Amino acid sequence: MKTSIQWLQEFVDIPLTPESLAAKFNLMSAEVESLEPMVRAIHLVIGHVETCVPHPDSDHLHVCTVDVGDNKILQIVCGAPNVDAGQTVVVALEGAVLPGDFKIKKSKIRGVESHGMICSLDELGIERKYHSEEGIHVLSEAVRPGTDALKALGFDDTVIDLDLTPNRGDLMSVLGIAHDVSAMLETELRLPDPHVDEDSERNPVRVVTDTPACMSYYARIIRGVRIGESPMWMKARLIAAGIRPINNVVDITNYVMLEYGQPLHAFDFGKLGTDTIVVREAYAGETILTLDGKARLLMAGDLVITDGTRPIALAGVMGGAETEIDGQTTAILLESATFDPIRIRKTSDRLDLRSESSVRFERRLDPNRTRLALDRAAQLFRHLAGGSILKGISFFENNSLIPRHITLSLEQINRVTGYEYKMSDLTGVFDRLHFTYLVSGGQLIVDAPTRRPDIVTYQDLIEEVVRIHGFAVIPTTLPRLVSTGFLTPFQRFRRLLRNTLIDLGLDETYTYSLVTESQASAFSTASTPPVRIAKPMIEDRSFLRHSLLPSMLEVAAYNVSRKADRVALFEIGKGYAIEGETEWVSGVLLGTYQESLWQGKTDAFDFFVVKGLLEALFDRVGIRHVRFEVLKEENSRFHPGISALIVQGDIVLGKIGKLHPLTQAERNLPDTFVFELDMERLHQGSARNEKMQEIAKYPFVTRDIAVLVDQKISVQSILDVVRKAGKKTLIDVRVFDLYQGDKIADGKKSVALSLTFQDFSKTLETAEIDQWTGKIVQALGTELQAVQRV
Amino acid sequence: MEIKKQLEQALAAIHEALTQVVTPNDLADLKAKYLGKKGVVAEWMSAMKNLTPEERPAFGQLVNEAKNRINDVIESFRQKMEDRRVAEKLANEAVDVTLPGRTIPMGSKHLINQIIEEVEDLFIGMGYTVKEGPEIEQDLYNFEMLNLPKSHPARDMQATFYITDELLLRTHTSPVQVRTLLENGGKKPIKIICPGKVYRRDEDDMTHSHQFTQIEALVVDEYVTLADLKGTLLTLARKMFGDDRQIRLRPSYFPFTEPSVEVDISCYQCHGKGCPMCKHTGWIEILGAGMVNNAVLEATGYDKTKYQGFALGVGVERLAILKYGIDDIRAFFTNDLRFNRQFK
Repeated sequence: MKTSIQWLQEFVDIPLTPESLAAKFNLMSAEVESLEPMVRAIHLVIGHVETCVPHPDSDHLHVCTVDVGDNKILQIVCGAPNVDAGQTVVVALEGAVLPGDFKIKKSKIRGVESHGMICSLDELGIERKYHSEEGIHVLSEAVRPGTDALKALGFDDTVIDLDLTPNRGDLMSVLGIAHDVSAMLETELRLPDPHVDEDSERNPVRVVTDTPACMSYYARIIRGVRIGESPMWMKARLIAAGIRPINNVVDITNYVMLEYGQPLHAFDFGKLGTDTIVVREAYAGETILTLDGKARLLMAGDLVITDGTRPIALAGVMGGAETEIDGQTTAILLESATFDPIRIRKTSDRLDLRSESSVRFERRLDPNRTRLALDRAAQLFRHLAGGSILKGISFFENNSLIPRHITLSLEQINRVTGYEYKMSDLTGVFDRLHFTYLVSGGQLIVDAPTRRPDIVTYQDLIEEVVRIHGFAVIPTTLPRLVSTGFLTPFQRFRRLLRNTLIDLGLDETYTYSLVTESQASAFSTASTPPVRIAKPMIEDRSFLRHSLLPSMLEVAAYNVSRKADRVALFEIGKGYAIEGETEWVSGVLLGTYQESLWQGKTDAFDFFVVKGLLEALFDRVGIRHVRFEVLKEENSRFHPGISALIVQGDIVLGKIGKLHPLTQAERNLPDTFVFELDMERLHQGSARNEKMQEIAKYPFVTRDIAVLVDQKISVQSILDVVRKAGKKTLIDVRVFDLYQGDKIADGKKSVALSLTFQDFSKTLETAEIDQWTGKIVQALGTELQAVQRV
Repeated sequence: MEIKKQLEQALAAIHEALTQVVTPNDLADLKAKYLGKKGVVAEWMSAMKNLTPEERPAFGQLVNEAKNRINDVIESFRQKMEDRRVAEKLANEAVDVTLPGRTIPMGSKHLINQIIEEVEDLFIGMGYTVKEGPEIEQDLYNFEMLNLPKSHPARDMQATFYITDELLLRTHTSPVQVRTLLENGGKKPIKIICPGKVYRRDEDDMTHSHQFTQIEALVVDEYVTLADLKGTLLTLARKMFGDDRQIRLRPSYFPFTEPSVEVDISCYQCHGKGCPMCKHTGWIEILGAGMVNNAVLEATGYDKTKYQGFALGVGVERLAILKYGIDDIRAFFTNDLRFNRQFK
């Protein structure tokens, strides 16, 4: 809400600079979005153009003599085509500074001296949204030359813009703000008491309504209205409030709305063609052409003003085009009403039609201002548009103005705030706010005023006391509640996992959950399609992702295109489906793993580096007995031969693999390795040792063997056989060589294993070790047709 | 006393011979020549048999001393030789220690998670537990039970991504508070913080993001005051922005708290003098808070005459932006590694 400070001063004394006032607003009322002089300029006076002749040396410039008061006549060269003798204009004198730090100096324009400048509204910094004047600004009223021009135009004002929260609908009016200013500054409030000079002719209109959503409806008829320009002071205040002046009729309704917070609507009474106004529920399928020229399809639940049959306005939201005020209008029906705020909000929401009016209605009006605003506007029509006000107000009234008596005890406020208020502090605040109250014992019974519909509970009263009395007095303490703080086991696990991946050299990413449709389902094995946002803002952010990988690949591609030679990313985050959310830890790795260039060592990421990183991670977080099984997926985004399921028992923990070449090409990525693991399953599958395990006292012995097996036999199955045959005595087995080539038969591979034996109760004899090794070789022969190479 | 003379002569000869010694073998030869089984000293010893039993002990002692002296000379030379050899070997092994070490890459924690963990740890230390909840949330928990019925104008403050009429992407982590209040069945006191991702219909630009991260705190007990909120906020402000920070509260509005406040911290760049950072006000807005609205307690089964509470909510990105002078909120989500790796 923007408002002129001078306007406020009509209703309340402000013995402070605008800056100090703004500081008070911030601490006690509403946040000040901005505080600006209406026009940032100096040395502007009103001038009277005495003579105006063409410039001798130009086809568009004029040379004018301008009376600027104090018996001074200045010669000014002016380029505006509309300049003429006899005009009252704004003159920037030598030494003037205009908005944009534009300094006016004496100059010579094509050989003719010019001692100042005749200004346009643009040059005064009045934005185009408020006017469409071309050329210099010509005042419509006579003003004595030499007068301060900003003062004459009503631009010698400061505009304060308050960022209002939805509860403070009362501050959407100059009067409402004046109330708060009076409370903040403890200065006198002067409330207007509009007086109406009525004509003897009676107002013929009858108002009927059959809906409880219309709480009150007041109408006056004003005849003999002459449409024209509004006076300068009114235009200036409208501009200060951010509203474009249109004509006196529209301006008056806007002006009074700003002043009282009560939206008004003026119908062209001549076009209305009836004396009956019916407020009713809209019929489904009914249409109305609104003032903005759009045909609006109505639904049950909308509220309309009708001429008895057809809708002529969308109640509280916007008037209809058919009864719009135009240059020929002479009689108007002026409406001031209150409607159900929720109904107004629903309609304006559905039609996406927010107006100054609908915003005020939905934030609740002061029902005691409905009639006052009507009278204020009527009187302005009489003064500024030459209208005569017909006798009487036609109205319908169904306001149930039940007083809101709210009780607040000293004990309550002190218990909530932790500060020891005295009863006099409380009464002091409510005096300042002009709330009436009764003190009874330690209790205060407050009568919440109709202008403050936000005051409903004792908590609301506490807020009023705290803000007006000041937050600074509130002490700083900590809650007395003694409790133990901790992370849950899962939260601790997540942190350990995150820290381990970082220690393993991975950078953590944080990407958006909303992605494109194709990204949302990529890498997904979810049973349901991705969740779509009902009304996405952009297609790029229209679906909730199943997998983190597509966003992470985007991050990888971004960094690769910026010449990152090592991209090792992980992210912990959720995948979303309608039946639930799954937390993943995912990784994308490409480029250099480790290097020492001058030593000629460079390791690139490959499947086994990434697998090794995961094995290290599993070791650190206590996930044991993990197996990697060949991944079989239809239309997989993984390389079919370089990808695996990661399994613990019969639980699938996740996947690891090289991207399919097509997936890489799609994203312009080099060889890329990814993994994706289910956090909950990892946590479930992790365990710590509960007891110390004994360290073996007797030495271990190693034996190396090499076996020849069919190429198709996985190392995993060899290891399984070896471990089974070696029982507990075999404490470790490592693969130390793998050979396929001309030295052995086609279709065969040689796998070399290092076996480690140890017994916890004795030193193993050579014969025993030979025996164990023999058993292992034998088992490999029986189960995998493996032959030992000697 | 023949031996003494012979010893002096022998030592002189040894010193002379040592100048010719180059290899350990040369030294071994020399040692053998004097101390070997058929060496000079052995020869002296053999003279003992010609002596009387009375003379023998003195003679034996003399020869032994001579033997020890010869041995000392040779061994000390051997030690020097060995020292020299080791020194040479080490000199040959020397490397240029200024060459770069092998790169062991360390990863980085995303700044958002660093801040979350920092705030979590602060609150855990004050006895809070960390609660999490779903991001696809019901309108009921995200709005209605927080005193935001449908068609409430304050819903405009949080433009919402709806999935269906009743399902949405949570606009704040407050539904986790609601869920916790409901879980506790209107009885137990609560002291929690709720970190997590939240979503609003904002167009992404330098200062707006359709997704951001929030941490909310909620305390509900029989005696929890606005003063306790203020103290908690001061603790948070000082932890994040330095021990000399001050805070101030300003009136604000959230439907789920009453009174509601906006919280400013004293500017940590100009310390209140006014600078571009604080828009020349000396104060920087960091978060919103308030006393839990009775409507929320009622909706979740708490007796409003007995229980009261406070809640606060802070934007993690906002904290990071202020703390590290980051000029574009999108940087958190772009994950340019040159950005991410600055914060370890």
